[in-house]
Amino acid sequence: MGQSESKGTLAASSAVVEVDLSTVSTEALLKTCYWFSRDFVCDIRNRNEKGAEVWLTPRSPATDPELASAKDAFLTSAMDFALREKIEAKTSGIRDLLLAKAFSESGILEDEPLGVFGDSVEEAKPDGMFKILGNARR
Amino acid sequence: MARAFYPLERFAPTLPTFHLLPFRFTRLNGLELLVNDAGEFLFVPTGTVQQLVDERLDASSELYQDLKAKQFVYDDSSSPLLDVLATKVRTKFDHMCGGTKLHIFVVTLRCEHSCEYCQVSRQTATRGEFDMSTATADRAIAMMMDSPAPAVTLEIQGGEPLLAFDLIQYIIPRAKAQARERGKDLDIVVCTNLACVTDDILLYFRDERVKVSTSLDGPAFLHNKNRSRPGHNSYEKAIEGIERSRAILGMESVAALMTTTAASLDYAAEIVDEYVRREFHSIFLRPISPYGFAVKTRHRTGYEMGRFLEFYKKGLAHILKVNRGGYRIAEVYTQILLTKMLTPHSTRYVDMQSPAGEAWNVLVYNYDGDVYASDESRMLAEMRDWTCRLGNVYQDTRRTLLTGEPALRLFQASCNQALAGCSDCAFQSYCAADPVYHYATQGDMYGHRPTSGFCARNMEVIRHLFSLIEENDRETMRIFWSWINGERVIREVDACA
Repeated sequence: MGQSESKGTLAASSAVVEVDLSTVSTEALLKTCYWFSRDFVCDIRNRNEKGAEVWLTPRSPATDPELASAKDAFLTSAMDFALREKIEAKTSGIRDLLLAKAFSESGILEDEPLGVFGDSVEEAKPDGMFKILGNARR
Repeated sequence: MARAFYPLERFAPTLPTFHLLPFRFTRLNGLELLVNDAGEFLFVPTGTVQQLVDERLDASSELYQDLKAKQFVYDDSSSPLLDVLATKVRTKFDHMCGGTKLHIFVVTLRCEHSCEYCQVSRQTATRGEFDMSTATADRAIAMMMDSPAPAVTLEIQGGEPLLAFDLIQYIIPRAKAQARERGKDLDIVVCTNLACVTDDILLYFRDERVKVSTSLDGPAFLHNKNRSRPGHNSYEKAIEGIERSRAILGMESVAALMTTTAASLDYAAEIVDEYVRREFHSIFLRPISPYGFAVKTRHRTGYEMGRFLEFYKKGLAHILKVNRGGYRIAEVYTQILLTKMLTPHSTRYVDMQSPAGEAWNVLVYNYDGDVYASDESRMLAEMRDWTCRLGNVYQDTRRTLLTGEPALRLFQASCNQALAGCSDCAFQSYCAADPVYHYATQGDMYGHRPTSGFCARNMEVIRHLFSLIEENDRETMRIFWSWINGERVIREVDACA
């Protein structure tokens, strides 16, 4: 993340946050802006392929300390969304499997989800929790 | 010739390689709060999430064992136990099973009260054209019984439903007969201000096992200010009605609800004390609804959500104090959220479900036969907005109601798992979507969470409850568990005293 600074004529009314796009993706940046949109107009300006500036303009007058605080909060929030993306990337497959197992009884799955269905006792029950469509057809 | 030995680390036990299971996180009180898809949570030191993502966490640490036990990670020595986790997730979504359970019959719009915050565009007490006909009631009963739910609740409301008591007497035996035929359990609740109740009505309710839900906004000065009626005696009528109802129906068959107006905000403790004085064991600190007649009077009755949250926290603190003093009284919204946070279960409270309970778990049959997705949807129609009108008992079947365009529009915006702002939220498993609220307040069923009163309320209430849980005060947690388990709190006598 880059540093933020008050700039030119907007010094009293905007904070500028410099973002390294190799650390925080555009999607994570947009999610951060979404949550800041109640109190700020968020303007994302791409500087180049690697970096962007986010101009935070408060919807009601703000003091310099408030703007500095908002900038800190924005950076923290953006980093959190970047972390969430990494968690999502590492766990999305297993979440799909988890939900498929949880709701397989509905019979709406077209394909049997990948994975090991290790609860043989539960599967053997006629009214067991886990009746993955593919299993049920066997 | 010198001998070379392997370094010491080579002989240490190999630490397992771990993998992440899905979770969301937020920051709270200097800690990180991790929540998985089943709603199980763990407070961990700041920096833990980064360590997990970077796979740098010390797998021999106690923290790692906690994360493993709570199913945030698994390793080579433990299977992911996906079936167990899937069972928990499924339990969390139990409210989706079984079809529509709550069926609200609006038997009349007539009312002799003129409450400032009323969500219904009530009509004067003599205008019979706003009563449900017996033919409409027959159709509504049939539609209710078409629900696959093995147990349904028939909630009769208005207006003031006791002004149409003859229709109540028509509906109840027919609903019971059809429930018997279909092998369904049937609960019946009448929502009434009790101003017109008589012993004959109550004896009928007793014989038919009907429960009563009434309104009590607090002490007399507040209740009468909020709930106008000729004679300015709404409070006196309500208290008299509650006492008579309890005498005939029993204590457990009479419940009360309060609505928080701007006038209520400074009196959280007094409102709680009124409920204690009247021997209620639950109180629901409810914000005013942004629907119906309440919209017309919002300049007098409305307030910012921040002010309500202050009121809620003060009220909850006072309720906890009362419980510590030995009198058991639960705050209902807290009880609902704690059940979701501390147990694997969901709740039947339709306003806090995802997928949303509207249409799926509740249907409202208006006096004129129109069917709505929720009580709030009907109130929108009173404001001449029929977006959430699903159909009519004369033209539709249950199938066409739930597959029609209005229902599908609602369903598309009903899963917080897929909503902007909610999809990443750590509190997703405890919270809801409520498309009707967002349509009513923001003109968009999907809603804008940063400016949503619904989101502001739930985020702050859940954060507040997590703060209390994290404090882990023994007495507070005992009270919370007593609410979840529905136990009476009995004051512990300190044996050392």
